[in-house]
Amino acid sequence: MNAVNRSSGGLTVTLGFVQDQAVLGVHGKVDHHTVSEFAALLDAVIVSGYHSVVLDLTAIDLMDPAGLRVITQAATRVVTSGGELTMRSSSTMAERTIDAAWLSRLVRQELRLPIADRLGPQQLGGPPEMPVRNEPTFPRSNSERIVASSTDRGVVDGALRLVVKLATATVGAADGASVTLRRHGRLTTVAASNQTVSDMDANQYSTGEGPCVDASVEGRWFHAESLDTETRWPAFTPRAHALGINAILSSPLLTKDRPVGALNIYSRTVAAFATKDQELAATFATEASAILTDAGMDVTDSQLASRLGTAKRNRHVISLAQGVIMERETIGEDLAYTRLREFSQRTNRPLRERAEDVMTSALQPQPGIDYGLMGSHDGL
Amino acid sequence: MGYSSVDLLDRYRQDARLSHDDLFLRYFELGGMSTEFELEATVYGALEPSPHDREVIAQALNERFAELGGDHPVPYQ
Repeated sequence: MNAVNRSSGGLTVTLGFVQDQAVLGVHGKVDHHTVSEFAALLDAVIVSGYHSVVLDLTAIDLMDPAGLRVITQAATRVVTSGGELTMRSSSTMAERTIDAAWLSRLVRQELRLPIADRLGPQQLGGPPEMPVRNEPTFPRSNSERIVASSTDRGVVDGALRLVVKLATATVGAADGASVTLRRHGRLTTVAASNQTVSDMDANQYSTGEGPCVDASVEGRWFHAESLDTETRWPAFTPRAHALGINAILSSPLLTKDRPVGALNIYSRTVAAFATKDQELAATFATEASAILTDAGMDVTDSQLASRLGTAKRNRHVISLAQGVIMERETIGEDLAYTRLREFSQRTNRPLRERAEDVMTSALQPQPGIDYGLMGSHDGL
Repeated sequence: MGYSSVDLLDRYRQDARLSHDDLFLRYFELGGMSTEFELEATVYGALEPSPHDREVIAQALNERFAELGGDHPVPYQ
């Protein structure tokens, strides 16, 4: 590993390269005296083309907001270019500061955590006050690093995993639980307590039958008290038996009264689920439904497709209108957009409506009518 | 309102009661060229938008404010 050391004020940065990975060890203080040096070094590493950048903050004494901003921007650049930023931190002070900063500056307000999933805030393991090393030994496991990655549904899925854990722990004879959701028109397991449960779900998806499938589709509760006597799902039941499962309780997940999935609880014990367990399952299903509704997961795929289709059409109209204005006023693309935007701002009308007006005028020119597209843009 | 710093675009987003997904869809509809991740980074101040991109983001937010009965509070520049 090649390594260089740079010191400035109370900051020492060790820079090393291991194969395709650049490693910055930061020691001391990143504050208004040293942040420029810190930013310059980080920038130099990113510009050099290293897609995997490791920031070792285990020996840092202070990281002020300016330093955090530098890290935020660096993480964004790295991720945007398809790379990843790994942060290592064991200093209590650094962890607290970094965690607070991620949460306050980067967390999605409505879901609370997605951007944190993208850029961080899992705290890292490792002994406290670990000295800076020229050659870090970062275990490449999720539990020991912060990796900037992109996922929109991470937090919702995380909340559902919590529901699964709670259901498994509190429903008396449960041997496992899972949450099934319909995504992109297909049922998929987004949280499962163990592999057997995942396999149980998968068997139902592949056979197209089973309590999980029926609860997800029909939006009502299904209870297989004993698979020994179960006749409703002839293709699935033998597979469940093969995995040692004998009782299943599937409760529907509903958003706006529409079924979107199911909470499934499995047991190896026949007649495992008493009335109290069924009530608990219903409660957890209600909670999971609320999580999905709060997260906006009640938008169906078809609704989303419709919205996207509308957005694409409007985008196209706006683009065409820009072209018309560019031609009429002999101006550039951005300025043509500004013309549309200024009209929208003045009239408090959506930009799209003005674009439609422009296109109407372009397609059906009526001599004698001034559409206000020439000369001053006041007429827009 | 009246936030001025570019990294406070997210404050406007919150005031407009838009999720990041919703804002991206509106931004895309208005001609925005950035990815959803880039847009999110921009509203948090982690990426500096081009003047045109800033205009599109502001327009997306302002149209939402107009829907809510407001004016165009987000500065375009």
